[in-house]
Amino acid sequence: MLDDENYDEWIKLLTDDIHYWMPGIQARYRKDKNQIAPDRMAFFDDDLEYLKLRVSRAKQPSAWAEDPPTRHFHLVSNIEVEVTVDPNEWVVHSVIVNSRLRCEDDKMDMHARRKDLIRRVEGGALKLARRMIILQETVLLSKNINTFL
Amino acid sequence: MAQASTMTRDRQSILSELPNFVNLDSYEIDRRIFWDKDLYALELERIFARCWNFIAHTSQIPEPGDFLTTVIGEDGVIVCRAEDGEVYAFLNSCTHRGNRVCFAEVGRARRFTCNFHGWSFGLDGSLASVSRPQLYDGNPTFDKAKLGLHQARVENYKGMYFATFDPDAPSLDEYLGDFRWYLDVILDNAEGGIEFIDGNIKSRLKCNWKFPAENFVGDAYHATWTHSSALIAMFGKAPTIHSDRSYQVNVNGHGWEFGLDFIGNAATLKSPEIVEYLREQEARFAERLGKVRSRMVGALSSANVFPNLSFLVGHNTFRTWNPRGPHETELHTWVYLNASAPETLKEHYRRGVMLTFSPAGLFEMDDGENFENCTSTNAGVVTRKQKLHFGMGIDSKIESESLKGNVYKSQLNEANQRAFYQRWADLMSSETWSDVPRR
Repeated sequence: MLDDENYDEWIKLLTDDIHYWMPGIQARYRKDKNQIAPDRMAFFDDDLEYLKLRVSRAKQPSAWAEDPPTRHFHLVSNIEVEVTVDPNEWVVHSVIVNSRLRCEDDKMDMHARRKDLIRRVEGGALKLARRMIILQETVLLSKNINTFL
Repeated sequence: MAQASTMTRDRQSILSELPNFVNLDSYEIDRRIFWDKDLYALELERIFARCWNFIAHTSQIPEPGDFLTTVIGEDGVIVCRAEDGEVYAFLNSCTHRGNRVCFAEVGRARRFTCNFHGWSFGLDGSLASVSRPQLYDGNPTFDKAKLGLHQARVENYKGMYFATFDPDAPSLDEYLGDFRWYLDVILDNAEGGIEFIDGNIKSRLKCNWKFPAENFVGDAYHATWTHSSALIAMFGKAPTIHSDRSYQVNVNGHGWEFGLDFIGNAATLKSPEIVEYLREQEARFAERLGKVRSRMVGALSSANVFPNLSFLVGHNTFRTWNPRGPHETELHTWVYLNASAPETLKEHYRRGVMLTFSPAGLFEMDDGENFENCTSTNAGVVTRKQKLHFGMGIDSKIESESLKGNVYKSQLNEANQRAFYQRWADLMSSETWSDVPRR
């Protein structure tokens, strides 16, 4: 779905109270207990409104950086599912490699671990309620993130 | 020897060609300044190792032992507050074999100890101890007082710390000149100044560092075109930037393009609370800054302190464009707010900058694409020989009683870019600081 930039359909998979978080990563010594903290700068720290704004921008005909389209794929692996005390919620761990190519050879790769909370909502559908994305690089090795992870 | 003489010839030929690279009489700039490796090597020496480079805000390292690591040009630097309360900056490279002595980006330390042989440096960079010092007995050149980490000069303006490796550089006050009066729009619009929000977002762009720096120093022109998609997504349409009641000002190559609309930049943060705060404080800003500068506090604008410290008021973000070779730049981004602002606004600024001016931000998304392609096209040897045009806003310089420095009518102008490249050319062609004219 994300590979095809089908963002409207992807948004429908999110719960209304989605928290989509990709914290900034810094190299800190082990004795530093707060390796990641919620009040620090982030790449994404989004609710549904923010995510919809980002989708809205990507769909504008004047989103120059999206035309010609980026060719991308998301490779998802190492999936582990944990049950929780709530029978309708599961914690899902995964790793992801996202590769983007633009024009001839403008290549950008991102490597990340993800921790999701999947919730079964009324009607039986499974939706994404929380996503934490831990980028493995402390320096984003590309000019932008014009995708979701 | 052969290599040394080649280097000398390259240096000589670069210096003799410099006047042609930046030719402001004909509003032309040679594209090789964005591509050439020898020019880049000269930039590292004559720009980055000589200028005052931003290294930290005081709020990032409030207590003795607090440190962060950063770069000046391509030189890795530790910035640390020592026991005496002063801020020191020194090379992150051991004086024994050159290994890094600090591997964290930020933290608190008592010492910086090398992993290789255990040489240990104090918070001020001095050599505190080495392992098994008796092994050096009898050698008078082993003088701990001379084997500290190489120091940079450090000075600050209202909490913004800068460093230079040039002992002959003018003072920071002189370097900033009247631009300090403009920096007060950020640093002194309220009691207590500003503080930085924790964290620092870093990203790499495959562009020459000057393209983003000149973009911030004076390119209001690109805003409504490049960022059309973000503006439409946010507001339904792109606003018009007006030529009247807007300005470009520059001092010593530092520049700020701005309207007097008070709120234009801040409004894109999608936070009514921030706009409300600014409106509530407007009269107080005017008391401290006077009417004209108070109208700049959140206005549609962008600015750059030469060489590479860019910022946006209203969005409240500082960033540095750090060179990583002629064709690559590492962007470091911070968010700040008034120390006296309500605590709840922290979240609004932090998330607002993330939504607009960070790598996944609605605005910044399209900038990197432009900077990269302006650089990469110069791989073509014919392309590289073509000139770029910097001719907007001729005859726009005005005398102003209410504004300092060189003042130009209309923020839709390229006067600041011309001043930026003039400063670049001044520094590149000057052997010493005494040869560098004040602008």
